[in-house]
Amino acid sequence: MTGRKMKLHHDMGGDPAGPIIPDKPDDPIFAKPWHKRVLGLTVAGGAMGAWSIDTSRFWRESLPKTDYRSFTYYEKWLAALTNLFVAKGFVTREEIINGLPSGPKQPLHAAALGADRVLAMLAAGAKASRPEMAKPLFQEGQKVRTRWPDATKRQMPGHTRLPHYAADKIGKILFYHGHHVLPNSNAHFLGECPEPLYSVEFSNADLWPDGHAGDVVIVDCWQSYLEPMT
Amino acid sequence: MPHDHHDEDAHSLLPSEPALRVKALETILVQKGLIDPAAVDAIIDRYEHHIGPQIGAGLIARAWSDPAFKAQLVNNTDGILSDLGFGGRQGEHIVVVENTPDCHNLVVCTLCSCYPWPVLGVPPAWYKSDAYRSRAVCEPRQVLAEFGVIIPPEQKIRVWDSTAEIRYLVLPMQPAQSRGLEESELALWVNRNAMIGTGLPQPPAKT
Repeated sequence: MTGRKMKLHHDMGGDPAGPIIPDKPDDPIFAKPWHKRVLGLTVAGGAMGAWSIDTSRFWRESLPKTDYRSFTYYEKWLAALTNLFVAKGFVTREEIINGLPSGPKQPLHAAALGADRVLAMLAAGAKASRPEMAKPLFQEGQKVRTRWPDATKRQMPGHTRLPHYAADKIGKILFYHGHHVLPNSNAHFLGECPEPLYSVEFSNADLWPDGHAGDVVIVDCWQSYLEPMT
Repeated sequence: MPHDHHDEDAHSLLPSEPALRVKALETILVQKGLIDPAAVDAIIDRYEHHIGPQIGAGLIARAWSDPAFKAQLVNNTDGILSDLGFGGRQGEHIVVVENTPDCHNLVVCTLCSCYPWPVLGVPPAWYKSDAYRSRAVCEPRQVLAEFGVIIPPEQKIRVWDSTAEIRYLVLPMQPAQSRGLEESELALWVNRNAMIGTGLPQPPAKT
């Protein structure tokens, strides 16, 4: 597969895979103590406001395929977070190599998340919805065709939330959710570019050779992922 | 070097043992004033001890007991969650999808691990696994069977792939045997998997 039909390693819907191993009722929320540190560092690092959740997702899916496939979940988060801190100039490669900061201990950065702000930050979240700037192009019930993931990207390599399995397929608009920040742009610091967001329903039989008739998959798609049916 | 084939990536410069890797990064970030370790502790405390599936279970039990609340939960989800203090990070836009005798709902995130944190907590390992992300969209009936849930062929399955910031919470059907119970007892019937769609409500385990 080449060009616009390329499927990336994080985009795994429909891939052959082995059994799923459900957890047990008494399994801990975090399997290892370092898992929770990664979660806390990632959430606190994101709260600095130097990058969005779209950027974080892009950096996780941009890990080399061998790392993405061999790393456990929180290792992926940790690797992407480390790369982001370095790429954004907060930390140098030398500091990572040495395991030490190059200068003396610094006071808490103005943008850093203080412990006193944690509860309010988690409770507030960050809405992705934005005021409606134009009427949506598509109506509920209307049939649409999805584009190819690469055709929706704003740069290469780039971020998109259109899965490969739902590309170039005919679906039906189920809901319109208003305008939402466009990850394809926002991940790369190219602006929020809010667009109409829709839940689009696809028939299983249209997606998979042996899909169960009547079953459906619903994918949330921004307007620029969709083309009208003529 | 742990990943010498990708030594352009900064993360590959960290120690190879994951626990040491985290410690190395946190040490640098704290020394540079970029991270307040007490903030990290506070975040962990929220998700380890306060925010979890018991919140979602309480909402479902109340919806089963009170039709007016159920209508609000389904039709004005973000408003009611905000009023109750259950909104927030990774649950800013929640959509409640209701199971019926004709339709069973199942939630996945094939591209990463999106999940309604404020009502269910952080996702379990299987939800984030390659196997679940790969298979839930293409063979949901086999996936459900591995969780012990058999869906009759005539009951339609709707799989919700969480590709945007919309988060999906399944409202399961109330089991007939639980009718008439108090809301607090009903909440014990609602397990986490029932709110993802990989489970059904069950009588609470005898203790």
